[in-house]
Amino acid sequence: MALIPTLSIKDTTTFSDEINFSVTDSLTVTAPAQSLSTIIATNAGGSNIIVTDTGGAIVWLFVRHTGTTDGSTATTRQVDVEFTTHEGIARLSAEEWLFMPVSHAGASVGVQLQVNHASNVQMEYAYWTAAA
Amino acid sequence: MATTTATVSISSSDLQPGNTLSINASSTLMQTGLTTGLEIMDMGASTATVAGGPDALHEALGTVDTANYMYLCNNATDDTFYLQVVLHDTVIGRLYAGDWMFTPWNMSDAAAEWAIEAEVGTCPYEYAFFKSTYTLPISTQGDASATGGGTLNP
Repeated sequence: MALIPTLSIKDTTTFSDEINFSVTDSLTVTAPAQSLSTIIATNAGGSNIIVTDTGGAIVWLFVRHTGTTDGSTATTRQVDVEFTTHEGIARLSAEEWLFMPVSHAGASVGVQLQVNHASNVQMEYAYWTAAA
Repeated sequence: MATTTATVSISSSDLQPGNTLSINASSTLMQTGLTTGLEIMDMGASTATVAGGPDALHEALGTVDTANYMYLCNNATDDTFYLQVVLHDTVIGRLYAGDWMFTPWNMSDAAAEWAIEAEVGTCPYEYAFFKSTYTLPISTQGDASATGGGTLNP
C-alpha cells in the first residue's frame, strides 16, 4: 500500500526572493494504521495515547491542532506530542500540524498528546506503519 | 506582512477499499502567538556519512518556547540509507532515502538542539528552519565601540 505525502512551502512577501518549494515522497506502509481521527486531548498524557507501542517499527504520524476544544469553541492552548515515555517530540499551537516518521531509536513505545494546561483541545491525527 | 504557508497533502488510492485517502492541511507559520511574519530562515544542504558521526543540524539559540519550524529531507537514492533524527538526546525519527518531515519546534530550552546521523550509507540531505527568534553568537572580534576592542575595518 502506497502513501503519497507532499509538502509545499510558499512565501511571497518576506524576502525579495520568493520561497516556493515542494517535495513529495512515496511511502510503502502497512498495518497497524489509523485513519484520520479526532481526540479530545487533556493534560493527562496517559489518557491521550494515539499510537500504542510501535513494536520498534517506524510510524508515519500526522497530527493537527484543530484550534478548538471540541470542534467549535476556539482555543489557543498548546499541545505536546510526546512519547509515552514522556520525551517531547513537538509542541503544537492552534492550526499547526506535523508529519514525520516516529521511531524512538527502535524501541517499542507509543505516542501521546498532552495539553500543557488544564484544558481540552480537539486534535486530529492519523498514522501508518512503515513496511519493513 | 510576511506570510509563510506550509501545506501537506497525504493521499493514497489503495489504503482504504473503495475510498481514496486525501488529507489536506495548511497552516500559516506564526510567530509566537497569533502574529504572522516569521523573518528568519536558515536553509542548507550537506552530506551525512556513517564515519562522520552525528551532525549538529541546528542549535536552540533563540528564545525558549517560541514558534519555529523544521523541514528535513534525506536525498539519498539507495532505499536502505537512512538518517536518525535526534532532538537533544532523544532519537525521535528515522528518515529513509527520499523521505521528508516537517514539524513545529518550540526550542523548549537551550539544549533542545537538532542533530542527525547517517546510520547506513552516505546521505545527502537538505533542511530549512523558519524561526521567530534567533540569538547570534558573540563576535570573536569583541566590541568595536569599546577601548581596545576589535576593529571591524582596520
